[in-house]
Amino acid sequence: MKKIYKFALILLSTLGLILGNTSTSFSKVEGDKIILGAAVSLTGKYSSNGVHTQNGYNMAVDRINSMGGVKVGGKTYKFDIIYYDDESNPKRAAQLAERLISQDGVEFMLGPYSSGLTKAMAPVTEKYGVPMVEANGASRSLFTKGYKYLFAVLAPANLYLDVAIRTAVELNGGKGVKIAQAFEQDAFSQDVRLGILDAAKETGSEIIIDDKLPKELNDMAATLAKVKATKPDVLVVSGHTKGALTAIRQISEMQVDVPMLAMTHCDAAKLSKQHGKNAQYALCASQWHKTLTYKDKWFKDGMTYDKDFNEMFGYAPPYQAAESSAALLVFKDAFERANSFDQKKVRDALAATDMQTFYGNIKFAPGGQNVSKPMVLFQVICDSSGKCENKVVAPLKWASAKLIHPMPKWSER
Amino acid sequence: MKKNIFLYSALLIFGLIAPFIFPAFKVQLSILCVLIVLAITWNIQGGEMGYNSFGNILFYGLGMYLCASVQVGMFFPLAEWTESGGEKTFVHTPVQFFQGIAVGLAVAAVIPAIVAGLIGYSILGLRGHYFAIGTLGLGVAAGEISGGIEIIGAGQGFTTPPFPNVGSLEARGEFFYYCSFVALVLTFIAVKSIYSTRFKLVLNAIRDNEDKAEAMGIQTMKYKIIGWMISAFFCGLAGGIMGGLVGYIDSTDVAFDGREMGVFMVLMAILGGKGTLWGPVIGATIFHIFKEGFWTFFLGWQYVALGVLIVVIVIYFPEGIMGWLREKYPEKFGEVVDEADRKAQVELK
Repeated sequence: MKKIYKFALILLSTLGLILGNTSTSFSKVEGDKIILGAAVSLTGKYSSNGVHTQNGYNMAVDRINSMGGVKVGGKTYKFDIIYYDDESNPKRAAQLAERLISQDGVEFMLGPYSSGLTKAMAPVTEKYGVPMVEANGASRSLFTKGYKYLFAVLAPANLYLDVAIRTAVELNGGKGVKIAQAFEQDAFSQDVRLGILDAAKETGSEIIIDDKLPKELNDMAATLAKVKATKPDVLVVSGHTKGALTAIRQISEMQVDVPMLAMTHCDAAKLSKQHGKNAQYALCASQWHKTLTYKDKWFKDGMTYDKDFNEMFGYAPPYQAAESSAALLVFKDAFERANSFDQKKVRDALAATDMQTFYGNIKFAPGGQNVSKPMVLFQVICDSSGKCENKVVAPLKWASAKLIHPMPKWSER
Repeated sequence: MKKNIFLYSALLIFGLIAPFIFPAFKVQLSILCVLIVLAITWNIQGGEMGYNSFGNILFYGLGMYLCASVQVGMFFPLAEWTESGGEKTFVHTPVQFFQGIAVGLAVAAVIPAIVAGLIGYSILGLRGHYFAIGTLGLGVAAGEISGGIEIIGAGQGFTTPPFPNVGSLEARGEFFYYCSFVALVLTFIAVKSIYSTRFKLVLNAIRDNEDKAEAMGIQTMKYKIIGWMISAFFCGLAGGIMGGLVGYIDSTDVAFDGREMGVFMVLMAILGGKGTLWGPVIGATIFHIFKEGFWTFFLGWQYVALGVLIVVIVIYFPEGIMGWLREKYPEKFGEVVDEADRKAQVELK
């Protein structure tokens, strides 16, 4: 038995040594570097969007650093980011927020991907008074908690598909429409659902199917069978990237005819590339599109961003990447206006943000959400050669194509 | 015996001062305590009784939801708190928070134990692989069902009451560390004391040959159910603490997290050596250190590294670390090796 005790003691002392050695903490500003902390989903169900987020951050860091960095107190600093993988798991995200702050000594944070993970991290950053600029947590409930250190560059989730319902009602001569909807069981999609419920109530529309889809979803045939039987005017689906891919795959397999199909995450899922003509006519909510006419001096405009991103990472940037890049621009702007690394001062500077970026205008409401940037709606439209593209159809100010409504029946395609 | 007391008091003192020696690691240490509790309780079924349960995660998740619901429900309308992901925010006063969590943890421990007693009668009738698959289903089903219950937040998740503004910034970390450490000590004492009674022998008899045990007049079902209730009690407690620590409950990713926690508790017990008292403790500690290390040094590849670790465990330590030690140093485990007999056998070969 003695051996075991010895073993246990050795184990404990090793643990002690390991912990003791690794607890050397970084400081927020090391030399000429401003170190930001970020937990993104590199593995797990959000890994594709996590990578878009990380690429967006990296692209902006590169650009800002190569264009002179951040000037604070007469000195020039460069951005650097410590990344961790949150594995698409809220439990891990909360732990990592704690770890970034108390072990790595990070004093400024960038957000993770998805509302659920942001919900798990926000209480931690708030407790330590660490300003967090996030680009991928859109759930409305994030902005009603009275968080003072949370800033989101994107429009809240309940506005995502609001436009689609209103457009459908308008095209129906102002009369309410019949809506079928299916949403993944996660914070973001459930919030999109709330937005639809509100819009339906205001327009006098009727919801005839209201399904919940499991996480990790790869089958929604049951919902689609009901859609085939009940013939709604609009079908709304939201379930991150997998939801979009599953919906298109099964709708085309089952030849489900519906006048309007409204979704989220079409560009992140690269629908027009992956499913080509099968994805045609799908309407998608987006925070950003390359054809929008916003400008800034770092990325110039959407088209240039699209080109540069393509060169750097080899694929067209979905809005998740664009909004992530914008988060860095917001941080840079706030640091320079605060002219200090004091967390409170930076927080106040962030709250007073009022700027235009290639991604859109950014101005925060007291709750922390960006109120000066509307959502856009695009439609997947293919030309005769079978090449498909996302074209903005609403709001009219930026529309580059006319909305095709109703979607042609499968038998006529 | 003297040495035992020395060791236990050393460990106890270490546990009590750990958050001050490693102030930056309070969260990891709290999670370590929770992991050890889960491994110890899993070992009651998997190790001592020979029933490989993947369903203990059910009690952990149940405890988590129960604790948070009681904490909120005692002072505010629960439905309004969770409605649309917690749009309305009610603030707990420090007194409300601590009262809430005390009652919440008690409920989080007791109800899962009762649930274990109720479902145990049918589930524990299954044996071998059937039991493993049946319990695996329990965790998955619970995750999907809870993801559809509006009053606990459904797919939106459940934000647990934030820690009140008392004491320093470190107060929250310290509070949850001591909660989990106390839970660990209670679990260890309880399990150690039942292992010193006839109860453990009965469990072992069930493991070795259940039919024979029954033929000898042991009411095996009764013991199996009691064993599972004990596991459920401490799993629920651990879940309740973990919910408060994470601050956000998601049905499948945090509460009924069978894919991670549910598998980890099995792995940790096997790594340390199932069917021993110290095995799960050592296994959980090593596992946690490895996992945290992989996480830092193999970013993006941590699951590959973890997979390699599992393969190494299965190939080189099939009986776990304790089993390996026991084979190497049987005399340290009180097994008498007759040297003359051993030599005679070697010569015979």
